[in-house]
Amino acid sequence: MPQIDQFESVFKAADKPQFLYEAIDFNNVLVITDLNDQAADLHCQQVEQLLAGLNDTAAPSYQIIRGNEFSTVASLIQQVEDAKPDLICMYRNLHSPASDFPYSLGTYVDVMTQATHVPVLILPHPENPEAIEEETAVIERVMAITNHLAGDHQLVNYAAALTPASGCLYLSHVEDKATFERYITTISKIPDIETEKAQDQILNQLLKEPREFAESCREALSATQLRIEIEKVIVLGHRMKDYQRLIQEHGIDLLVMNTKDEDQLAMHGLAYPLAVELRHLPLLLV
Amino acid sequence: MNLAILANTEAHVTGADTAVFACLLVALITCLALEEKLHAKKSVIVGTFAIICLLLGAIRGILPFDDVVVGSHQVTAHEGIKGEHQDGHFELAKTSKEEKLHYNGHRLRMPVYIPGIDWGVIAIILGSSLFVDVTSRSGLFTWIAIKVTKASRGDPLKLLFFYGFMTVIFSAVLNNVTAMIIVGSLTVVSLDKLGLREKLLGFLLIEGLLTNIGGLLTLISSVPNIIVGTAANISFLTFFVKACPYVIVSTLVTLWMGARFFGIQRLQDSVSQSNAEQLVQSFDETDGIQSWGFFWFGTGMLILFIIVIATTSVLPYVRDLEMGFVALAFAGIMLIRYRSVADDFYRSIDWDLIGFFMGLFIVIYVMEHAMVLHTIGIGLRRVLVHIDAEPAHWVDSSVLLLGAAGFSSVTDNIPLAAMLANILKNLDAQIATATVQETGLWWSVIFGANLGGNLTPIGSASTLVAVTIMHKHKVPLSFAGFVKAALPFALLQIALAVFYVLLILPHL
Repeated sequence: MPQIDQFESVFKAADKPQFLYEAIDFNNVLVITDLNDQAADLHCQQVEQLLAGLNDTAAPSYQIIRGNEFSTVASLIQQVEDAKPDLICMYRNLHSPASDFPYSLGTYVDVMTQATHVPVLILPHPENPEAIEEETAVIERVMAITNHLAGDHQLVNYAAALTPASGCLYLSHVEDKATFERYITTISKIPDIETEKAQDQILNQLLKEPREFAESCREALSATQLRIEIEKVIVLGHRMKDYQRLIQEHGIDLLVMNTKDEDQLAMHGLAYPLAVELRHLPLLLV
Repeated sequence: MNLAILANTEAHVTGADTAVFACLLVALITCLALEEKLHAKKSVIVGTFAIICLLLGAIRGILPFDDVVVGSHQVTAHEGIKGEHQDGHFELAKTSKEEKLHYNGHRLRMPVYIPGIDWGVIAIILGSSLFVDVTSRSGLFTWIAIKVTKASRGDPLKLLFFYGFMTVIFSAVLNNVTAMIIVGSLTVVSLDKLGLREKLLGFLLIEGLLTNIGGLLTLISSVPNIIVGTAANISFLTFFVKACPYVIVSTLVTLWMGARFFGIQRLQDSVSQSNAEQLVQSFDETDGIQSWGFFWFGTGMLILFIIVIATTSVLPYVRDLEMGFVALAFAGIMLIRYRSVADDFYRSIDWDLIGFFMGLFIVIYVMEHAMVLHTIGIGLRRVLVHIDAEPAHWVDSSVLLLGAAGFSSVTDNIPLAAMLANILKNLDAQIATATVQETGLWWSVIFGANLGGNLTPIGSASTLVAVTIMHKHKVPLSFAGFVKAALPFALLQIALAVFYVLLILPHL
């Protein structure tokens, strides 16, 4: 009975997830480094400086795990559990020269993003020529990226918490063009479905949902005391290329993305290649 | 002077002819009851029988292949008037007693099956469905449905009562099937949203049962109402005033029982209430509205449609054009908004339903000429022993209501309504006079035909839709399961109806 499906579609489309704002406090920040002594302290100061302007709540307390305090993943995880941090700050390729493995995040980051529920802020490697510049820079423009923005309250809340007052939060959603085109090609081979109509309506619906959710984020955040600007970037495109383009175009200082998926799929999907590619940019993996 | 009397063909019909056609009628009703098993649409089943009936009727010479007189005035000829056959003047078939004569008018040659179809009913169904279809594009019905959901604040008990009343009102204003589709679809989505999937069976079953209660509210709410109501000369307003008290009481009782049977209760703690309210607030009632201008136009037109339909019997000029014209005219006005894509709406017309009615009217017409309806009428007179009583005798009213309900539970209630309307109209009793609505027999047919649909899932199209939605969402409910769950409700509704027709209705 087609009419049943028709009305169900109407009501499902009318069901729009509304953004639920939740204030996030980073009271306890844990800095993990493979540096020791003064170099480690200097790195910690740089992290403090980076996070200083991010929120106007009480200043967080900082703990540090130095390079000589861990040598295995298991021992690091144990120390992290003991520290009970709200945020972990580390960089890729711990205990190995960054240049040796430019196409991976290193074992420690890989495990940390999945073994704990604490968000991980990945900073550029201190050996990276752009690292000093990035770490002392002030974060002004934050971009939350996902391929499923609608209903992702946590991602937006973390991104908003790391956006400073008068800073700009970009809520981005890039719908994968290659996947979309593959389905449309399949649809074009099915006589019962009108291809042009399907193409227009599916694309419209795919982009409508994140657009409406982003709008509800804007409304909810404007009602809070966070004085941040919200921009929507919702497009159909090639994920890697378009995210890189958008980051460059908007001069993004911090990227926020999901990695802690129950099925551990996110880190193996869009997030991992982006995290590997964007070596010069601080990334918050939620 | 141009005078004509419609021919009477009864004289040519033999007992064997009547028996053969009666068998065909039984076969048709059986096939309609087994529609799902036969994997055949109603229109095809009835259409096939209409073809057989017409062919057989022509072979046996029982069909009136005379010219049809249109645009004539009716006069009464008294005993003693001599007939004189003269082209262009007047014709009399009998003069032995008081006789109805048709004065003036045109004689038209048309296929024998055309006058058999009740075009007034077809026009109402066609016009109303087109009007509702176009109006629904304004987003009005989804707007109302979501507003109602939000008003419930996600509380399950409130949701059941609000959806229940919405089902009744939509069934009354639109039609049973559309009402069930709209409310049923929303029920699935909102219960999913609220995490109350386990209550889906109870909600859909109650809503399915309430569509047939709502179908009793107005003259145009269900097809049996249209057929019987127009045959009995019951006006829209009279129908509404007489049916309304029963509909309200029966709805409340059904909802109360449903809440108890299916354990649908209010949310107790404030946290659950707040969560549920937050969830339903995420519905956007404006999502389906493409143009606010058309939304308000649709709203205005719907209100006007109800007012005009309700007052058709007293509106000058419109009264002569009847309700079918009103429905078609409103559909035509609404289509102006979609003039360039009007054919899309024509395609979405339920041609199976229209074909079914046309075929059914033809079959009934042939049955009338084969004296089958006359024979059933004689049988009915033996059962309804006080048929001339006014108001109707309680035994007759009860028997007719229960019989109609029983019949409607196993097969389509439309053939029953059409057949009984025809029989009651032709019975040599006061029920065919202008005071016809005073008798309870017509109401017994109306209540029985509508409520019988609640006894089984195949008893009405709307309960079938409810079961279809359940199966679509993997809620298992067999035929026997439906009967077991619905029986207490249906029996109570029928008992209330008998009580109402016998004791309350005569005083309204």
